[in-house]
Amino acid sequence: MQPLNPEMILVMFMIGVAVFLFVVEWVRVDVVAILMMVSLPLLHLVTPKEAFIGLSSNAVISIIAVIIIGAGLDKTGLINNLIAPILKVAGNSPSRIVIAISFAIAIISSFMQNIGAAALFLPAIQRISKTLKVPISKLLMPIGFSAILGGTVTLVGSSPLILLNDLIAPFDLQPFGLFDVTPVGLALVTAGILCFVLFGRFILPQGAKETSEESSNGRDADSIQEIGEAYELETPEDFTHYRDPVRVEDLRRRYLVNVVALVEPPDFKIFSPPPDTVIHSDVILAVVGRKEDVLRMAESEDMRLKADLDAFKDDLDEQASGSVEAVVAPRSTLNGKTLKQIDLPDRFQVTPLAVYRQGETYRAQIGDLPLRVGDAILIHGTWKRLQLLQAEGSLLFNTPVDVESLRPEKAAFAGLWLSVSLVMILVFKIHLSVSLMTGALGMIITRVLSIDEAYGAVDWRTIFLLAGLIPLGIATQKTGTAAWIAHTVLAATGTVEPVVLFTIIGLLSTAFTLVISNVGATVLLVPLVVNMAVAAHADPRMAALVVGLATSNSFILPTHQVNALYMGPGRYRSTDFMKAGLLISLVFIPVMIGTIYLIYGF
Amino acid sequence: MAIITISRGSYSRGKEVAERVAAELGYECLSREVILEASDRYHIPELKMVKAVHDAPSLLERLGHAKQDFIAYYQSALTRAVQKDNVVYHGLAGHVLLKGVPHVLKVRIIADLEDRVVDEMKREESSDQEARSLILRDDQERRKWTRNLYGVDPWDSALYDIVVHIRKFTVSNAVEFICRAARLDPFATTARSQRKIDDLALASQIKAMLVEVHPDVRVTCDYGNVLIYTVNDDRMARRMKEKVEALTRKIQGINHIEVHPGVSAPKISV
Repeated sequence: MQPLNPEMILVMFMIGVAVFLFVVEWVRVDVVAILMMVSLPLLHLVTPKEAFIGLSSNAVISIIAVIIIGAGLDKTGLINNLIAPILKVAGNSPSRIVIAISFAIAIISSFMQNIGAAALFLPAIQRISKTLKVPISKLLMPIGFSAILGGTVTLVGSSPLILLNDLIAPFDLQPFGLFDVTPVGLALVTAGILCFVLFGRFILPQGAKETSEESSNGRDADSIQEIGEAYELETPEDFTHYRDPVRVEDLRRRYLVNVVALVEPPDFKIFSPPPDTVIHSDVILAVVGRKEDVLRMAESEDMRLKADLDAFKDDLDEQASGSVEAVVAPRSTLNGKTLKQIDLPDRFQVTPLAVYRQGETYRAQIGDLPLRVGDAILIHGTWKRLQLLQAEGSLLFNTPVDVESLRPEKAAFAGLWLSVSLVMILVFKIHLSVSLMTGALGMIITRVLSIDEAYGAVDWRTIFLLAGLIPLGIATQKTGTAAWIAHTVLAATGTVEPVVLFTIIGLLSTAFTLVISNVGATVLLVPLVVNMAVAAHADPRMAALVVGLATSNSFILPTHQVNALYMGPGRYRSTDFMKAGLLISLVFIPVMIGTIYLIYGF
Repeated sequence: MAIITISRGSYSRGKEVAERVAAELGYECLSREVILEASDRYHIPELKMVKAVHDAPSLLERLGHAKQDFIAYYQSALTRAVQKDNVVYHGLAGHVLLKGVPHVLKVRIIADLEDRVVDEMKREESSDQEARSLILRDDQERRKWTRNLYGVDPWDSALYDIVVHIRKFTVSNAVEFICRAARLDPFATTARSQRKIDDLALASQIKAMLVEVHPDVRVTCDYGNVLIYTVNDDRMARRMKEKVEALTRKIQGINHIEVHPGVSAPKISV
């Protein structure tokens, strides 16, 4: 082992900077990665070639291909088609539904990004909850956790595992195969599902049972009680006489009633009028609100409430318009902005009605609330307008309003190219990145998705996060910093049994992944644990595998993207995640170590 | 009719003006009663309340929240007192504590320093210098108080609808001006303006209930829709909401309550 030298100190300093920036989040994690990519060669800790080698790494190419394949599967509705047979098998029992969907999502997320699979299943789960009247809070968390656990089923399931072969390459260790992790992953998924089946009633919020019948306009009784229904009102001839002008936003502020459309005389229809629209005399208003609020408004503002929808009968019909719950997706550009800044009525002619966050419903002055990832916004509009909003991509819709843009006829091709990739990997033992890219290319050539759609699907943040942190791993290994830290730690603790060492590595990875990203944790820990395992005479490959798997052990805080995504729609609070997440995290480590020991030994 | 607030310095004859206006219009005249009501309702010794709402906050108090709770109690008592309308109020800070209510006629009465010094000397049998320094100190204290707590200078005439200088104008002239102004249309109580004062009273009442434990809260109320703004996180906000809902169960006029954590409160909030 080399003695501590200035280069090592500099590398440790840079690791400190990266960890610090990951924790405080002054800049986004991918920007931190790019910062490393640029500063490490400037400090002569890596060569310029090494600094950018991440961009051409197998990990990056594999993840690009996996994203494109996932987008292809998504585009053909192939996965949606799987849901009906799954439900047939599951029947009506909530625990069987959870088991069936959890296994399905785990398998799918083992070939897709976890967040992609989770987003894909969200609308279906919400529908199931409504049709079978099972509280959504009982379904979403187990399924979301299974999506995360599913990332451990194959080597392309999650970013840490994709990175693993690149990170162990400098140590001349044998690379892992696509399904080498499968037994461990399946054991983890099974353990996770078992926890929810056995202890679900203790660790899951119970939620109100949705027993009431669905209403005529398709929204469930819960939301009608909270937000209300559509009503039509008329302003009298003398509405504007002797009074201050009444604006759309005034009605919302005073009565929590949302004007979704109005007819100005003679018959000029405006949908989702901007908040500052002044309401004139002889105007017909279509509003969404609770009956008592609408009655209060009609009385105080001298409006006439019509018995039924009349002028807007067709426009507010289920076929033409409705309300959808849209979730602020992880990494959405809307994160941190207020609804006032986004100005949905002006840009898309849709009206936000309420915001659901952490189990709370916000109805008053929602325009001023800075949005967060996982917030679910209830939006009313015509389906056409809602489609445009969905196409913009910053919000994730619970109801697929863009059914027309799906290409179900290409489902067979999508399935075929996925199979081709798998056969290339399994039968012909062709390299992972080459096989997956072949599948992705196949989908583009057979027009499952266009090349532009494929480019559009690639998440550059993930790419640069992976590619940017790889040089940090190289620097840690090349300068001997990893070896030095490993030996110093081992010298302090004395020789430990492999099982103890692996448990410590598992716990350390879990702790790291909760505060810095899973990719960051993997890049920093793999060189370290490989050196530690060598020094402690344990299998270094398995030590790296423990890191790759345990960085998916991110359940206690809703920091994982999947958890953040399901938080709003599931009406979960942070404490709900802590309760269930703690159990799963505790079960995760022994199941992982036990299965690795049984199958591979240490 | 109207709510008339009269802001005055000591010996500016403002009290006399207020009492005569009230008599002329048949209004109730309020000043010290508000302090008594606040100290009674919120169980604060009267002397402590007077000191808190009269003296400018010390540096230490400005850093902490010591004054905020007294002000909240005072505002709650004041808004409740003037809610019934037809009131002349000549106590502290009426013009800032009743901000945003359309039918409030805001009056400031000022008097010549020399006249005030003579009055003080007569009443306290003190020397010219003693009287002068006492009046100047009192003026300064009140000015600092409003500046520190509300960011406005009470000597800024733009805060008022009428400023009357009792010198060439007599007290009777002032009473006449004010009574005529109070009868004008803009100061007539309408359903909308009554709604404003009811909302302000409700918001102040809820703020007063919360301020001791959550000194940072700001409250708005629009037609009975109460919004509580806090810098606390979601968990604290939820607890606060539960507490508010329990506290306000008996209060009439609340239509809806929400707690918005991490949102900066609008200027109109109390």
